[in-house]
Amino acid sequence: MSSLHLKDFVYFEPTTTAEVTSLLAEHGAKARIMAGGIDLIPRMRAGSIKAEVVINIQKIPELSLFEYDPAKGFRFGAMVSLHTLDTCQELKKHFPIIQKAINQITSVQSKYMGTAVGNVCLATPASDVSPVLMVHDAELIIEGTQGVRTEKVADFYTAYYKTTLQQGEFVTGVSIPKVAEGTGAAFYNKVRTHADIAKITVAAVVNVQDGVFQDAKIALGAVAPVALRARSAEAVLQGQPISEELIQKAAEVAMNDGSPISDFRSNKEYRLDMIRVLVGRALNKAVNQAKGVQHV
Amino acid sequence: MFRIEPKKSEVVSFIVNGQLKEVILKGPNQTLAEVLRIKLDMTGTKESCQCGECGACTVLVEGEPVLSCSTLAIAVRGKRITTIEGLAEGGVLHPIQQAFIDSGASQCGFCTPGMILMAKVLLDENPEPTEDQIKEHLGGNLCRCTGYVKIIEAVQLAAKTMKSVGA
Repeated sequence: MSSLHLKDFVYFEPTTTAEVTSLLAEHGAKARIMAGGIDLIPRMRAGSIKAEVVINIQKIPELSLFEYDPAKGFRFGAMVSLHTLDTCQELKKHFPIIQKAINQITSVQSKYMGTAVGNVCLATPASDVSPVLMVHDAELIIEGTQGVRTEKVADFYTAYYKTTLQQGEFVTGVSIPKVAEGTGAAFYNKVRTHADIAKITVAAVVNVQDGVFQDAKIALGAVAPVALRARSAEAVLQGQPISEELIQKAAEVAMNDGSPISDFRSNKEYRLDMIRVLVGRALNKAVNQAKGVQHV
Repeated sequence: MFRIEPKKSEVVSFIVNGQLKEVILKGPNQTLAEVLRIKLDMTGTKESCQCGECGACTVLVEGEPVLSCSTLAIAVRGKRITTIEGLAEGGVLHPIQQAFIDSGASQCGFCTPGMILMAKVLLDENPEPTEDQIKEHLGGNLCRCTGYVKIIEAVQLAAKTMKSVGA
Protein backbone atom coordinates (compact mmCIF):
# COMPACT_ATOMS: atom_id res chain seq x y z
CA MET A 1 0.00 0.00 0.00
CA SER A 2 1.31 3.38 -0.88
CA SER A 3 2.16 5.62 2.01
CA LEU A 4 0.16 8.52 0.63
CA HIS A 5 -3.29 7.76 -0.71
CA LEU A 6 -5.39 10.23 -2.64
CA LYS A 7 -8.24 11.68 -0.61
CA ASP A 8 -11.84 11.29 -1.76
CA PHE A 9 -13.18 13.38 -4.63
CA VAL A 10 -15.99 13.28 -7.16
CA TYR A 11 -14.72 12.52 -10.65
CA PHE A 12 -16.28 13.91 -13.83
CA GLU A 13 -15.47 13.09 -17.42
CA PRO A 14 -17.12 15.72 -19.61
CA THR A 15 -17.04 15.37 -23.39
CA THR A 16 -17.83 18.98 -24.25
CA THR A 17 -16.36 22.30 -23.09
CA ALA A 18 -19.85 23.49 -22.11
CA GLU A 19 -20.07 20.64 -19.60
CA VAL A 20 -16.74 21.75 -18.14
CA THR A 21 -17.80 25.37 -17.67
CA SER A 22 -21.09 24.42 -16.02
CA LEU A 23 -19.26 22.06 -13.64
CA LEU A 24 -16.75 24.80 -12.83
CA ALA A 25 -19.55 27.31 -12.28
CA GLU A 26 -21.33 24.89 -9.96
CA HIS A 27 -18.36 23.74 -7.89
CA GLY A 28 -16.13 26.81 -7.92
CA ALA A 29 -12.87 26.61 -6.03
CA LYS A 30 -13.57 23.05 -4.86
CA ALA A 31 -13.11 21.82 -8.44
CA ARG A 32 -9.88 21.24 -10.31
CA ILE A 33 -9.31 20.60 -13.98
CA MET A 34 -7.18 17.59 -14.81
CA ALA A 35 -5.35 17.72 -18.14
CA GLY A 36 -2.22 15.53 -17.97
CA GLY A 37 -2.47 15.27 -14.18
CA ILE A 38 1.30 15.46 -13.89
CA ASP A 39 1.15 18.37 -11.45
CA LEU A 40 -2.35 17.95 -10.02
CA ILE A 41 -2.26 14.33 -8.85
CA PRO A 42 1.07 14.51 -6.94
CA ARG A 43 -0.01 17.76 -5.30
CA MET A 44 -3.41 16.33 -4.33
CA ARG A 45 -1.63 13.34 -2.89
CA ALA A 46 0.77 15.53 -0.94
CA GLY A 47 -2.18 17.57 0.35
CA SER A 48 -1.07 20.91 -1.07
CA ILE A 49 -4.15 20.90 -3.33
CA LYS A 50 -7.47 19.93 -1.82
CA ALA A 51 -9.84 19.10 -4.66
CA GLU A 52 -13.31 17.81 -3.89
CA VAL A 53 -14.14 17.62 -7.58
CA VAL A 54 -11.79 16.54 -10.38
CA ILE A 55 -12.81 17.36 -13.94
CA ASN A 56 -10.90 15.27 -16.45
CA ILE A 57 -10.77 17.12 -19.79
CA GLN A 58 -8.94 14.32 -21.65
CA LYS A 59 -12.10 13.07 -23.34
CA ILE A 60 -13.00 16.31 -25.12
CA PRO A 61 -11.86 15.68 -28.71
CA GLU A 62 -11.53 19.31 -29.83
CA LEU A 63 -8.98 20.05 -27.09
CA SER A 64 -6.46 17.73 -28.76
CA LEU A 65 -6.46 19.61 -32.07
CA PHE A 66 -3.51 21.63 -33.32
CA GLU A 67 -2.92 23.29 -36.64
CA TYR A 68 -0.50 25.59 -38.39
CA ASP A 69 -1.98 28.04 -40.87
CA PRO A 70 0.72 30.00 -42.77
CA ALA A 71 -1.62 33.00 -42.95
CA LYS A 72 -2.59 33.05 -39.28
CA GLY A 73 -0.15 31.08 -37.20
CA PHE A 74 -0.29 28.17 -34.78
CA ARG A 75 -3.21 27.05 -32.64
CA PHE A 76 -3.32 24.20 -30.21
CA GLY A 77 -5.85 22.89 -27.71
CA ALA A 78 -5.51 22.43 -23.98
CA MET A 79 -4.95 18.66 -24.27
CA VAL A 80 -2.08 18.89 -26.78
CA SER A 81 0.88 17.34 -24.99
CA LEU A 82 4.31 18.88 -24.64
CA HIS A 83 5.58 15.82 -26.52
CA THR A 84 3.29 16.54 -29.48
CA LEU A 85 4.53 20.13 -29.60
CA ASP A 86 8.11 18.97 -29.16
CA THR A 87 7.89 16.74 -32.24
CA CYS A 88 5.86 19.13 -34.43
CA GLN A 89 7.95 20.11 -37.45
CA GLU A 90 6.04 23.33 -38.15
CA LEU A 91 6.51 24.53 -34.61
CA LYS A 92 10.21 23.74 -34.88
CA LYS A 93 10.50 25.71 -38.09
CA HIS A 94 8.48 28.79 -37.15
CA PHE A 95 8.73 28.96 -33.34
CA PRO A 96 11.99 27.22 -32.40
CA ILE A 97 12.26 28.88 -28.97
CA ILE A 98 8.97 27.29 -27.93
CA GLN A 99 10.50 23.87 -28.47
CA LYS A 100 13.67 25.00 -26.75
CA ALA A 101 11.63 25.97 -23.70
CA ILE A 102 9.72 22.68 -23.73
CA ASN A 103 13.00 20.83 -23.85
CA GLN A 104 14.04 22.32 -20.54
CA ILE A 105 11.74 19.62 -19.11
CA THR A 106 14.02 16.61 -18.83
CA SER A 107 11.43 13.95 -18.03
CA VAL A 108 10.19 12.40 -21.27
CA GLN A 109 7.21 10.93 -19.41
CA SER A 110 6.23 14.40 -18.20
CA LYS A 111 6.29 15.65 -21.78
CA TYR A 112 4.03 12.80 -22.92
CA MET A 113 1.57 13.43 -20.08
CA GLY A 114 1.90 17.16 -19.55
CA THR A 115 0.39 19.92 -21.65
CA ALA A 116 1.59 23.42 -22.53
CA VAL A 117 -1.73 24.87 -21.38
CA GLY A 118 -1.37 23.03 -18.07
CA ASN A 119 2.08 24.52 -17.67
CA VAL A 120 0.74 28.02 -18.34
CA CYS A 121 -2.29 27.59 -16.05
CA LEU A 122 -0.13 26.35 -13.20
CA ALA A 123 1.00 29.99 -13.04
CA THR A 124 4.40 29.27 -11.59
CA PRO A 125 6.78 32.22 -12.02
CA ALA A 126 9.47 29.71 -13.05
CA SER A 127 7.70 28.39 -16.16
CA ASP A 128 9.97 28.26 -19.19
CA VAL A 129 6.96 27.92 -21.47
CA SER A 130 5.12 31.11 -20.43
CA PRO A 131 7.94 33.55 -21.34
CA VAL A 132 8.36 32.14 -24.87
CA LEU A 133 4.61 32.31 -25.45
CA MET A 134 4.62 35.90 -24.16
CA VAL A 135 7.30 37.10 -26.58
CA HIS A 136 5.44 35.43 -29.44
CA ASP A 137 2.36 37.45 -28.39
CA ALA A 138 0.38 34.25 -27.78
CA GLU A 139 -3.24 34.46 -26.71
CA LEU A 140 -5.15 32.09 -24.51
CA ILE A 141 -8.63 31.07 -25.57
CA ILE A 142 -10.75 31.07 -22.43
CA GLU A 143 -14.21 29.60 -22.24
CA GLY A 144 -16.71 30.35 -19.51
CA THR A 145 -20.41 30.09 -18.92
CA GLN A 146 -20.76 33.58 -20.43
CA GLY A 147 -18.93 32.67 -23.63
CA VAL A 148 -15.43 32.75 -25.06
CA ARG A 149 -12.81 35.44 -24.47
CA THR A 150 -9.16 35.72 -25.30
CA GLU A 151 -6.31 37.00 -23.21
CA LYS A 152 -2.63 37.51 -23.95
CA VAL A 153 -0.42 35.16 -21.94
CA ALA A 154 1.46 38.33 -20.93
CA ASP A 155 -1.70 39.67 -19.22
CA PHE A 156 -2.83 36.36 -17.69
CA TYR A 157 -0.93 36.45 -14.40
CA THR A 158 -2.10 38.74 -11.62
CA ALA A 159 0.00 37.57 -8.66
CA TYR A 160 2.07 34.63 -7.44
CA TYR A 161 0.22 31.51 -8.72
CA LYS A 162 -2.81 33.68 -9.59
CA THR A 163 -4.45 34.26 -12.97
CA THR A 164 -7.34 36.27 -14.38
CA LEU A 165 -9.51 33.12 -14.66
CA GLN A 166 -12.94 33.69 -13.13
CA GLN A 167 -15.26 31.08 -11.66
CA GLY A 168 -16.64 28.92 -14.46
CA GLU A 169 -13.75 29.66 -16.83
CA PHE A 170 -10.99 27.47 -18.20
CA VAL A 171 -8.37 27.73 -20.91
CA THR A 172 -9.27 25.68 -23.97
CA GLY A 173 -6.29 26.53 -26.16
CA VAL A 174 -3.59 28.87 -27.33
CA SER A 175 -3.17 30.81 -30.53
CA ILE A 176 0.19 32.17 -31.62
CA PRO A 177 0.25 34.70 -34.46
CA LYS A 178 2.45 33.95 -37.46
CA VAL A 179 5.95 35.34 -37.40
CA ALA A 180 6.58 38.35 -39.67
CA GLU A 181 9.59 38.51 -41.97
CA GLY A 182 12.65 40.03 -40.37
CA THR A 183 11.92 38.41 -37.02
CA GLY A 184 14.45 36.74 -34.72
CA ALA A 185 13.98 34.90 -31.44
CA ALA A 186 16.16 33.71 -28.57
CA PHE A 187 15.74 31.82 -25.30
CA TYR A 188 18.15 31.47 -22.40
CA ASN A 189 17.86 30.19 -18.87
CA LYS A 190 20.09 29.34 -15.93
CA VAL A 191 19.56 26.17 -13.95
CA ARG A 192 21.37 24.38 -11.11
CA THR A 193 20.88 21.02 -12.80
CA HIS A 194 18.76 20.23 -15.81
CA ALA A 195 16.24 18.34 -13.72
CA ASP A 196 15.54 21.46 -11.65
CA ILE A 197 13.37 24.47 -12.47
CA ALA A 198 15.09 27.62 -13.75
CA LYS A 199 16.60 30.27 -11.50
CA ILE A 200 16.10 32.74 -14.35
CA THR A 201 14.57 32.52 -17.81
CA VAL A 202 14.83 35.14 -20.57
CA ALA A 203 13.09 35.08 -23.95
CA ALA A 204 13.21 37.72 -26.69
CA VAL A 205 11.58 38.21 -30.08
CA VAL A 206 12.60 41.17 -32.25
CA ASN A 207 11.48 42.41 -35.61
CA VAL A 208 14.12 44.30 -37.55
CA GLN A 209 13.38 46.56 -40.54
CA ASP A 210 16.16 48.64 -42.15
CA GLY A 211 18.39 48.44 -39.10
CA VAL A 212 15.65 49.60 -36.73
CA PHE A 213 13.85 47.74 -33.95
CA GLN A 214 10.39 47.64 -35.50
CA ASP A 215 9.25 45.59 -32.54
CA ALA A 216 10.92 44.04 -29.52
CA LYS A 217 9.38 41.75 -26.91
CA ILE A 218 11.29 40.52 -23.89
CA ALA A 219 9.94 38.19 -21.19
CA LEU A 220 11.42 37.11 -17.88
CA GLY A 221 10.77 34.02 -15.75
CA ALA A 222 11.69 33.19 -12.15
CA VAL A 223 12.71 36.77 -11.29
CA ALA A 224 9.33 38.11 -10.08
CA PRO A 225 6.15 36.70 -8.48
CA VAL A 226 4.90 36.01 -12.01
CA ALA A 227 6.48 35.44 -15.41
CA LEU A 228 6.25 38.81 -17.14
CA ARG A 229 7.16 41.06 -20.06
CA ALA A 230 10.07 43.45 -19.50
CA ARG A 231 8.06 46.42 -20.74
CA SER A 232 10.44 49.21 -19.77
CA ALA A 233 13.34 47.47 -21.53
CA GLU A 234 11.15 46.94 -24.61
CA ALA A 235 10.32 50.68 -24.63
CA VAL A 236 14.03 51.53 -24.83
CA LEU A 237 14.30 49.58 -28.10
CA GLN A 238 11.03 50.39 -29.84
CA GLY A 239 11.62 52.23 -33.15
CA GLN A 240 15.30 52.88 -32.41
CA PRO A 241 18.29 52.12 -34.68
CA ILE A 242 20.00 48.92 -33.60
CA SER A 243 23.33 49.32 -31.82
CA GLU A 244 25.26 47.43 -29.18
CA GLU A 245 24.98 50.46 -26.87
CA LEU A 246 21.20 50.49 -27.18
CA ILE A 247 20.99 46.75 -26.50
CA GLN A 248 23.14 47.13 -23.40
CA LYS A 249 21.01 50.03 -22.21
CA ALA A 250 17.85 47.93 -22.63
CA ALA A 251 19.52 45.04 -20.81
CA GLU A 252 20.30 47.32 -17.84
CA VAL A 253 16.79 48.78 -17.82
CA ALA A 254 15.38 45.23 -17.82
CA MET A 255 16.84 44.79 -14.32
CA ASN A 256 14.10 47.18 -13.13
CA ASP A 257 11.42 44.99 -14.68
CA GLY A 258 12.30 42.06 -12.42
CA SER A 259 12.01 41.87 -8.64
CA PRO A 260 13.86 38.67 -7.79
CA ILE A 261 14.15 37.07 -4.37
CA SER A 262 17.02 35.16 -2.82
CA ASP A 263 16.36 31.48 -2.25
CA PHE A 264 18.26 28.20 -2.29
CA ARG A 265 18.53 28.27 -6.08
CA SER A 266 20.21 31.66 -6.34
CA ASN A 267 20.34 35.08 -4.74
CA LYS A 268 18.74 38.35 -5.66
CA GLU A 269 21.95 40.07 -6.75
CA TYR A 270 22.96 37.25 -9.09
CA ARG A 271 19.50 37.02 -10.62
CA LEU A 272 19.43 40.79 -11.22
CA ASP A 273 22.81 40.72 -12.91
CA MET A 274 21.79 37.71 -14.99
CA ILE A 275 18.74 39.64 -16.22
CA ARG A 276 21.21 42.17 -17.67
CA VAL A 277 23.55 39.52 -19.09
CA LEU A 278 20.90 37.24 -20.58
CA VAL A 279 18.68 40.02 -21.96
CA GLY A 280 21.74 41.46 -23.74
CA ARG A 281 22.68 38.05 -25.04
CA ALA A 282 19.13 37.20 -26.14
CA LEU A 283 18.67 40.52 -27.95
CA ASN A 284 21.95 40.14 -29.82
CA LYS A 285 21.11 36.60 -30.84
CA ALA A 286 17.59 37.54 -31.92
CA VAL A 287 18.88 40.52 -33.92
CA ASN A 288 21.47 38.39 -35.70
CA GLN A 289 18.84 35.85 -36.52
CA ALA A 290 16.43 38.52 -37.78
CA LYS A 291 19.12 39.92 -40.06
CA GLY A 292 20.38 36.58 -41.31
CA VAL A 293 17.20 34.64 -41.74
CA GLN A 294 14.19 35.89 -43.66
CA HIS A 295 11.72 33.69 -41.88
CA VAL A 296 12.54 32.26 -38.50
CA MET B 1 -21.60 12.56 -18.45
CA PHE B 2 -19.50 9.90 -16.78
CA ARG B 3 -19.00 10.50 -13.07
CA ILE B 4 -17.99 8.54 -9.99
CA GLU B 5 -18.74 9.39 -6.40
CA PRO B 6 -16.25 8.70 -3.61
CA LYS B 7 -16.19 5.06 -2.41
CA LYS B 8 -18.71 4.02 -5.05
CA SER B 9 -17.88 0.69 -6.66
CA GLU B 10 -17.19 0.79 -10.35
CA VAL B 11 -16.18 -2.20 -12.43
CA VAL B 12 -13.55 -1.22 -14.96
CA SER B 13 -11.34 -3.19 -17.31
CA PHE B 14 -7.88 -2.75 -18.75
CA ILE B 15 -5.92 -4.73 -21.29
CA VAL B 16 -2.78 -5.38 -19.33
CA ASN B 17 0.01 -6.98 -21.33
CA GLY B 18 -2.53 -8.26 -23.83
CA GLN B 19 -4.87 -9.77 -21.23
CA LEU B 20 -8.26 -8.40 -20.30
CA LYS B 21 -8.31 -7.56 -16.57
CA GLU B 22 -11.38 -6.49 -14.63
CA VAL B 23 -11.10 -4.71 -11.33
CA ILE B 24 -13.55 -3.09 -8.96
CA LEU B 25 -12.54 0.45 -8.10
CA LYS B 26 -13.87 1.93 -4.86
CA GLY B 27 -14.27 5.52 -5.95
CA PRO B 28 -12.06 7.37 -8.42
CA ASN B 29 -9.11 8.06 -6.11
CA GLN B 30 -6.85 5.16 -7.06
CA THR B 31 -3.78 5.58 -9.20
CA LEU B 32 -2.83 3.21 -11.97
CA ALA B 33 0.23 2.20 -9.93
CA GLU B 34 -1.97 1.21 -6.98
CA VAL B 35 -4.33 -0.79 -9.18
CA LEU B 36 -1.46 -2.65 -10.82
CA ARG B 37 0.39 -3.37 -7.60
CA ILE B 38 -2.46 -3.94 -5.14
CA LYS B 39 -5.50 -5.05 -7.15
CA LEU B 40 -3.67 -6.99 -9.84
CA ASP B 41 -0.71 -8.05 -7.71
CA MET B 42 1.69 -6.97 -10.45
CA THR B 43 4.48 -5.59 -8.31
CA GLY B 44 6.97 -5.22 -11.15
CA THR B 45 5.85 -1.60 -11.40
CA LYS B 46 7.63 0.29 -8.63
CA GLU B 47 6.50 3.33 -6.71
CA SER B 48 9.43 5.31 -5.43
CA CYS B 49 8.97 9.07 -5.09
CA GLN B 50 5.18 9.08 -5.63
CA CYS B 51 5.38 12.59 -7.02
CA GLY B 52 6.33 12.19 -10.67
CA GLU B 53 10.03 12.94 -10.22
CA CYS B 54 11.78 9.57 -10.44
CA GLY B 55 10.27 7.58 -13.32
CA ALA B 56 10.29 4.27 -11.41
CA CYS B 57 6.53 3.79 -11.88
CA THR B 58 6.66 4.21 -15.67
CA VAL B 59 4.28 2.00 -17.66
CA LEU B 60 3.11 2.28 -21.25
CA VAL B 61 -0.48 3.29 -21.97
CA GLU B 62 -1.34 2.70 -25.63
CA GLY B 63 2.43 2.51 -26.18
CA GLU B 64 3.19 5.89 -24.62
CA PRO B 65 5.17 6.22 -21.41
CA VAL B 66 3.23 7.52 -18.42
CA LEU B 67 3.94 7.82 -14.73
CA SER B 68 1.47 5.42 -13.16
CA CYS B 69 1.77 7.13 -9.74
CA SER B 70 0.36 10.32 -11.27
CA THR B 71 -2.30 8.67 -13.45
CA LEU B 72 -5.82 8.03 -12.21
CA ALA B 73 -6.74 4.43 -13.01
CA ILE B 74 -10.29 5.46 -13.86
CA ALA B 75 -8.99 7.84 -16.55
CA VAL B 76 -7.25 5.03 -18.47
CA ARG B 77 -9.97 2.37 -18.19
CA GLY B 78 -10.32 0.32 -21.36
CA LYS B 79 -6.79 1.13 -22.50
CA ARG B 80 -3.87 -1.13 -23.41
CA ILE B 81 -1.27 -1.08 -20.65
CA THR B 82 2.20 -2.56 -20.85
CA THR B 83 4.13 -3.22 -17.67
CA ILE B 84 7.53 -4.78 -17.14
CA GLU B 85 5.78 -8.18 -16.67
CA GLY B 86 4.64 -7.98 -20.29
CA LEU B 87 8.05 -7.85 -21.93
CA ALA B 88 9.27 -11.42 -21.66
CA GLU B 89 7.73 -13.83 -24.16
CA GLY B 90 7.32 -17.55 -23.46
CA GLY B 91 9.75 -17.38 -20.55
CA VAL B 92 12.43 -15.70 -22.67
CA LEU B 93 13.53 -12.29 -21.52
CA HIS B 94 13.19 -9.32 -23.83
CA PRO B 95 16.59 -8.33 -25.31
CA ILE B 96 16.55 -5.14 -23.22
CA GLN B 97 16.01 -7.14 -20.03
CA GLN B 98 18.81 -9.52 -21.00
CA ALA B 99 21.11 -6.60 -21.81
CA PHE B 100 20.47 -5.08 -18.35
CA ILE B 101 21.58 -8.37 -16.79
CA ASP B 102 24.58 -8.80 -19.07
CA SER B 103 25.75 -5.21 -18.51
CA GLY B 104 25.24 -5.28 -14.74
CA ALA B 105 22.89 -2.34 -15.15
CA SER B 106 20.64 -3.28 -12.25
CA GLN B 107 21.77 -3.03 -8.62
CA CYS B 108 18.94 -2.51 -6.13
CA GLY B 109 16.60 -2.93 -9.10
CA PHE B 110 14.00 -0.38 -8.08
CA CYS B 111 14.50 1.90 -11.10
CA THR B 112 15.01 -0.98 -13.53
CA PRO B 113 11.42 -1.61 -14.71
CA GLY B 114 10.97 2.07 -15.56
CA MET B 115 14.37 2.26 -17.22
CA ILE B 116 13.67 -0.82 -19.36
CA LEU B 117 10.24 0.40 -20.46
CA MET B 118 11.68 3.79 -21.39
CA ALA B 119 14.49 2.05 -23.29
CA LYS B 120 11.82 0.07 -25.15
CA VAL B 121 10.00 3.27 -26.19
CA LEU B 122 13.30 4.67 -27.44
CA LEU B 123 14.49 1.58 -29.33
CA ASP B 124 11.09 0.93 -30.91
CA GLU B 125 11.24 4.44 -32.35
CA ASN B 126 14.95 4.78 -32.94
CA PRO B 127 16.82 1.44 -33.24
CA GLU B 128 20.27 3.07 -33.29
CA PRO B 129 20.27 5.89 -30.75
CA THR B 130 23.38 7.89 -29.97
CA GLU B 131 24.66 8.03 -26.40
CA ASP B 132 23.23 11.55 -26.05
CA GLN B 133 19.83 10.39 -27.29
CA ILE B 134 19.83 7.59 -24.72
CA LYS B 135 20.75 10.00 -21.93
CA GLU B 136 18.10 12.47 -23.02
CA HIS B 137 15.44 9.80 -23.25
CA LEU B 138 16.19 8.46 -19.76
CA GLY B 139 16.31 11.99 -18.32
CA GLY B 140 13.16 11.39 -16.27
CA ASN B 141 14.38 8.15 -14.69
CA LEU B 142 16.53 8.35 -11.60
CA CYS B 143 18.93 5.66 -10.44
CA ARG B 144 20.66 6.04 -7.08
CA CYS B 145 22.97 3.03 -7.45
CA THR B 146 24.66 2.66 -10.80
CA GLY B 147 25.79 6.14 -11.77
CA TYR B 148 23.97 5.46 -15.06
CA VAL B 149 27.05 4.33 -17.04
CA LYS B 150 26.04 0.67 -17.07
CA ILE B 151 22.43 1.55 -17.85
CA ILE B 152 23.51 3.46 -20.95
CA GLU B 153 25.78 0.56 -21.91
CA ALA B 154 22.85 -1.83 -21.48
CA VAL B 155 20.67 0.20 -23.84
CA GLN B 156 23.51 0.26 -26.38
CA LEU B 157 23.93 -3.51 -26.04
CA ALA B 158 20.17 -4.05 -26.38
CA ALA B 159 20.14 -1.94 -29.54
CA LYS B 160 22.84 -4.19 -31.00
CA THR B 161 21.07 -7.43 -30.07
CA MET B 162 17.70 -6.22 -31.27
CA LYS B 163 19.26 -5.21 -34.57
CA SER B 164 20.89 -8.62 -35.11
CA VAL B 165 17.74 -10.47 -34.01
CA GLY B 166 15.59 -8.30 -36.24
CA ALA B 167 17.93 -8.73 -39.23
